[in-house]
Amino acid sequence: MEEMPTKIEHLLHELTVLPLSGGHGAEAAGFSLTNYTFWLIVAVVLLLTFFIVASRKVKLVPSGIGNLAEAGVDFVRNGVCVDVMGPEGKKYFPFLGTIFFFVLFNNLLGNIPPALPGTGTVGTTFTWAIIVFLVYNGIGIKKIGFFGYIKSLIPSGTPWWLSWLIFLIELISHFLRPFTLGIRLFANMYAGHIMLGVFTIFAAIFIEQFSAISIAVVPLSFLMQVILRVFELMVAVLQAYIFTILTAVYIDGALHAGSH
Amino acid sequence: MEIIIPNTTEMWVNIAAFAVLFVVLWKFAFPPITKMLDERANKIRESLEKAEDTRVEAERLLDEYKVQMAEARAEATQVIEQGRKVAESMKTEILAKAREEAEAEKAKAVAAIKAEKESAMAELKGEVADLSVAVAGKILGSSITKADHEALIDKYLAEVGSLNEN
Repeated sequence: MEEMPTKIEHLLHELTVLPLSGGHGAEAAGFSLTNYTFWLIVAVVLLLTFFIVASRKVKLVPSGIGNLAEAGVDFVRNGVCVDVMGPEGKKYFPFLGTIFFFVLFNNLLGNIPPALPGTGTVGTTFTWAIIVFLVYNGIGIKKIGFFGYIKSLIPSGTPWWLSWLIFLIELISHFLRPFTLGIRLFANMYAGHIMLGVFTIFAAIFIEQFSAISIAVVPLSFLMQVILRVFELMVAVLQAYIFTILTAVYIDGALHAGSH
Repeated sequence: MEIIIPNTTEMWVNIAAFAVLFVVLWKFAFPPITKMLDERANKIRESLEKAEDTRVEAERLLDEYKVQMAEARAEATQVIEQGRKVAESMKTEILAKAREEAEAEKAKAVAAIKAEKESAMAELKGEVADLSVAVAGKILGSSITKADHEALIDKYLAEVGSLNEN
């Protein structure tokens, strides 16, 4: 039983960002690829392969891999873009589709041992959240100009003595968006893997030091593994959807910044 | 706390991943798929519209045929009715003509009979007169006068006449 802390420490160590060469700590990661980026590149290659193959296989009567890709594309294009932004939202589909499928492929790949989800590190999620931040603000600024966009942070009809406060709050809320986006996705993926790891450790310890309690703990740990796997698959899709739909909401807000 | 400090290499890898993914998906992978989705939607819309047009056309034709059928039926009834009228009028005409002819025939016959009867009566009258004169002469010798004789004939003829009327 005294192995528990060391095993958990080992698990956490495995889930931290590590350089591929096998060094220790984030500092050593320096400029070499990390364990997460390795799987991220695998996911990106899979994603590109899938879509390049699928896009050559679309037919008027859908079938097979083309049908699967179409279902995904249609889900993002109609279920996210059009639903949130209306018909003109289709214009932003390539951007939102890239985000959705990137997050989805990374999340799902992370569910296949020994892969790690590329989205299980803040290096990934913050980068993508910052891209989203730059893009949606860029769209807003392009639409109504820099000063118009800044002015739109204060709702019309706000009393002058309150406007600076509202402006400050709005500004902070905008700058918090990339953090919340990034943290939400990272924490979901990271926590999921910790939960899975913990139940694996339980099972391993109680098998190694077999006793009467093991008869109850091992099957329960195993059952939890199965349940959590299903749960993780759901979370993988759900988090990809949430990340994408929030991006769509931000873009929609920027598009209508001047009109409220 | 170090897990929420992003690793710089990871950030560069992600920026590269985003750039490659976005360009490849946007320029090469998504267009055929979205094009096909739109094409299919259009195809379905067109097919539905076409089906609707065909249905409307079929209904229009059906109505047209119904009207034509009704017209044809009415016309047929009219033709039959007309035929019946013609036949009816021909029947009455033929009957009237037949009756007329029969009437004429009958009248002719009656006239002939009457003439026959009259000539027979005249002949009979002569013969009866002669015969009665002869008979009377034989019975009475020549004792009845011409006047008696005439009166006798007339009486007899009246009797014969009344018999004839019965």
